[in-house]
Amino acid sequence: AMAGRLEPHLEALRRELRAPDPAVLSVLLALLAVAVTLLIWRFVQGRRSSRKAVLLLGLCDAGKTLLFARLLTGKYRDTQTSITDSSAVYRVSNDKNANVTLIDLPGHESLRLQFLERFKAAARAIVFVVDSVAFQREVKDVAEFLYQVLVDSTVLKNAPALLIACNKQDVTMAKSAKLIQQQLEKELNTLRVTRSAAPTSLDGSATGGSAQLGKKGKDFDFSQLPMKVEFVECSARGSKGEEGDADFEGLEKWLAKVA
Amino acid sequence: ERGSNNSFTHEALTLKYKLDNQFELVFVVGFQKILTLTYVDKLIDDVHKEFRDKYRNEFQQKGTLGLLNGTFDFKDDFMRLLRDAEESSKVRAPTVMKTFEQSLKSQKTVKCMIETRGEKPKEKVKNKKNKGSKKEGTEAVAAPGKASAGDKQPSAAGDREELTKDEILQKNREEFFKRHMKAGEKSGKSPKPEAQKEKGKKPRVWDLGNSNAKVLDYSNSATNGSAEACPVEEFDPDTALGDRNREPGRLYDLEYESDDEAEEEKVIQNPSKPSAKKGGLGGMFGMLKGLVGSKSLTREDMDPVLEKMKDHLIAKNVAAEIAVQLCESVAKKLEGKVMGTFTTVTSTVKQALQEALVQILQPQRRVDVLRDVMDAQRHHRPYVVTFCGVNGVGKSTNLAKISFWLIENGFSVLIAACDTFRAGAVEQLRTHTRRLNALHPPESHGGRTMVQLYEKGYGKDAAGIAMEAISYARNQGFDVVLVDTAGRMQDNAPLMTALAKLIAVNAPDLVLFVGEALVGNEAVDQLVKFNKALADHSMAQTPRLIDGIVLTKFDTIDDKVGAAISMTYITSKPIVFVGTGQTYCDLRSLNAKAVVAALMKA
Repeated sequence: AMAGRLEPHLEALRRELRAPDPAVLSVLLALLAVAVTLLIWRFVQGRRSSRKAVLLLGLCDAGKTLLFARLLTGKYRDTQTSITDSSAVYRVSNDKNANVTLIDLPGHESLRLQFLERFKAAARAIVFVVDSVAFQREVKDVAEFLYQVLVDSTVLKNAPALLIACNKQDVTMAKSAKLIQQQLEKELNTLRVTRSAAPTSLDGSATGGSAQLGKKGKDFDFSQLPMKVEFVECSARGSKGEEGDADFEGLEKWLAKVA
Repeated sequence: ERGSNNSFTHEALTLKYKLDNQFELVFVVGFQKILTLTYVDKLIDDVHKEFRDKYRNEFQQKGTLGLLNGTFDFKDDFMRLLRDAEESSKVRAPTVMKTFEQSLKSQKTVKCMIETRGEKPKEKVKNKKNKGSKKEGTEAVAAPGKASAGDKQPSAAGDREELTKDEILQKNREEFFKRHMKAGEKSGKSPKPEAQKEKGKKPRVWDLGNSNAKVLDYSNSATNGSAEACPVEEFDPDTALGDRNREPGRLYDLEYESDDEAEEEKVIQNPSKPSAKKGGLGGMFGMLKGLVGSKSLTREDMDPVLEKMKDHLIAKNVAAEIAVQLCESVAKKLEGKVMGTFTTVTSTVKQALQEALVQILQPQRRVDVLRDVMDAQRHHRPYVVTFCGVNGVGKSTNLAKISFWLIENGFSVLIAACDTFRAGAVEQLRTHTRRLNALHPPESHGGRTMVQLYEKGYGKDAAGIAMEAISYARNQGFDVVLVDTAGRMQDNAPLMTALAKLIAVNAPDLVLFVGEALVGNEAVDQLVKFNKALADHSMAQTPRLIDGIVLTKFDTIDDKVGAAISMTYITSKPIVFVGTGQTYCDLRSLNAKAVVAALMKA
C-alpha cells in the first residue's frame, strides 16, 4: 500500500525529470543551491565558533609580552612597548597535547580597545595581567580596563574563562592576589555606579553598556560574573632573573585546564 | 598616528625612526641632540635594507616564533655600516686655499687694481650744473699748473703701489678733461679749450615754466595717421584667431572634465596595462591577476587616494594642516605593506585612516569625572573644575548642564562667577542657580542646597574670587566647585596672562577648554595659544595645561564633525563632554566609533 502511494509520486517525478519544464527545474536547482550554501555556512560558523585563542590583556608595562615570550620559548627577552598584536600557537604541556593560540595585545590606552574589538570574538579565555608592584597607584586604571572588558557584549555572551595574573611577584613590594582581588572588587563596585551614571553617548547608546555588572543591590563580587574567574600569582622574570625560568606554574596549569 | 614627523627629541637625545611595513619592523636611531649628524638618514636606510635582506627568510617562514627564538647577530654589520656612513660624510676634504701665484690676481698689473676713491668724485663732477662746471673750470686752471709737475710724479710713482691723495685727484681731473675735450691735448693747453668748451655747451633749462613741451619733446616727428611709419608685419590669421570653426560672435562655456569615475576604484593595474593593449580577454585576466596577487603598496598608488581622503576630511571640517599630517602618517604606515587578496588600494587606505582616527579619539587618560569627585569627597576637599575658552562658545550654558548632571548624581555644587567682565554674566549664573534649585529642591536631598552661587559682582580680580570660592566651598562642605571665566581671544596677551595666573594660583583639579564644534581651522590656533599661555606663565616645574575638552553646539553640525579630530589631535586630551542643545539634559559623552563613522561617510 505504501509502495502504491509512492508510485504515483515517483511517476510524477520521473515524468518531470524526463520532460524538463524550465521553470520547475530552475526552481529545484535554486533550492538545491540554497541548501548547499546553508550547509556550508553552518559548517564555517561551526568552525569559527570553536574559539581557540587566549588573549593576554593588561595595562602598559604589566608584563604581557615577556609572559608571552616565556610561555612560548622559556627564554628571557628584553621587550619594548607593543604597538601591535603578536600571536603564536602554544602547545599545552600535559597529556592531552592540545594547543591554543596565544595572542598578546598591546596595552597602550589608544590601542587597547581597537585590538580587543578585533580579537574578542575568537577568545576562549582571557588572561588579564596585573602589575602587582604598581597596583596601588594604578588601581583605578586597572579597574577601568577590566570593567570595559567585562561589560563588552561579546565577552558577556561567550563568557570566556578569566584569569587575573598578578605579575611581578619576584619584587618584594608586590601585593598578594587576595589583596588585589579585594581592591578590584571595591573599585569595580564604585565604577559600575559612576559608569552607568555617565552622560549617554552621542548616538543614544549608554557608555557603560546596558549590562549591569554583577547583581544589583549587593556589593560586587567576582563570583557574580557569568564566567569563571581565578586569581593566580606569577612572575614572568622569575626569581633568578634572566637566566632562570619564570615562576608561573599556576598559569600553565590553568592554560592546560582551559585548552 | 603622528607618523608624518619621523624624529622625536627628549632631553639631550634625538630619535629618528623608520618603518618597514612589509615585515612590521621599526628601526630607531638615537643620537645626542647637539651633534648635527648628516648621515643619520642614510645610515638608517642602509641598516634597514641590510637587516631585511639578511633575515628575510626568518621573517617570512617562521613568523612570531622565529622572531622570539631567532638570534639576530647584527652588531658587526651595524658597526661596519656606521663606519661607512661616518667616512662618507667626511669624504669631501676641506678645500685647499689657492696660493697667491695660482690666483688670477697676481697676473694683473698693480695699476689697474688700485681702487681709488676718485671714482666717486668723478661721477659727482659729471652731474654738476652749469655753475658747478664753471667752478671746475677755474679749478682746472689752477690744476694744470700743478699737473704738469705732478704728471711726472705719477709716472715715477707708478711703480710704487701707493699714490698720495693729491696725486690721485689730479690724475682723475686729467682724465675728466681728456674725456670732455675733443683733441687729446696736454694739460697745459687747457684754459683755451675751457673757454671753447663753455661756449659749446648748451644750457639745460630745468624749469618747466620757462620752456614749453616742444623743447622737451624728444620723440620722432609725428607718425600718427601715416601708414609708412610702422611697417606692416606678417599677420597670420590662423594663429591669431585660433579656432577656425567657431561661430562668430558666440561666447562659449568653460569646459571641465570630471575624472571621478577614473579614480573611483583604483585597482593596481600594472600587470593589466600591457595586456590591455593586447586584447580584451587578456586585459580582463590581467585585471583579475592584479586583484588576487599580492603586491606591496607604493607611494604612487596611494597618492591619488590620499588626496581624495584629505579633501574629504577638509570638507568635513577637519583643520587643513591636521588633515595633511594625518594623510602623511597613514601613507608612512602603509608604504611597502603587502596587500591581501581582493583588497583594493582605496579600501586599505580607508581602513588605515579609520583606525588612525579612532586611535586619535581614544583618550590617553581616564575620562571619569564622577570617580575623581568621589575621591576628592573622601579626602574632604572640593573638586575644582575651571572652564576656559574664547568668547561665545557656551561656557556658562554647559557649566549649568554639568552642574545639573552632578546634582543628579548627588553631589553639591558651588558655582564661582569669575567672569567679572561681561555684562549679565553674574545674573545669568544666578538664574541658572535658581532654576536648578527649583528642579532639585533641598527637601529632596536631605535639606542641603545642592547648588549655590558665589559671586562678587563685576570688575574684581577673577583669580582672587576663585580662591575665595574654593575656601568657602571647603568650609561649607561642597563637593564640586565650577569656576566660570570670561571668554577671551587667544591673541589677547594680558587676558591670557590673567587666565594663566588664575589657573596657576588656584591649581584646579580639572581644566576644561570649551570649544564649539563649528570652529574650523581656528581650533588649532586657539588650543595651541591657550596651552602656550598656560605653560609660559606657570611657575611650576610641570605646568598645568588643558586637561580635557568640552565640545559644544554639536547639534548644529549634522555630520561635519571634524572639529573633534582637530582638537584632540592638537592636545592629545580627551573630549570629556559634548553639548548638544540648550536644555539641561543636552549633555553627552563622546562615542569615538560614531564620530569616525560620520567622518568617513561619503
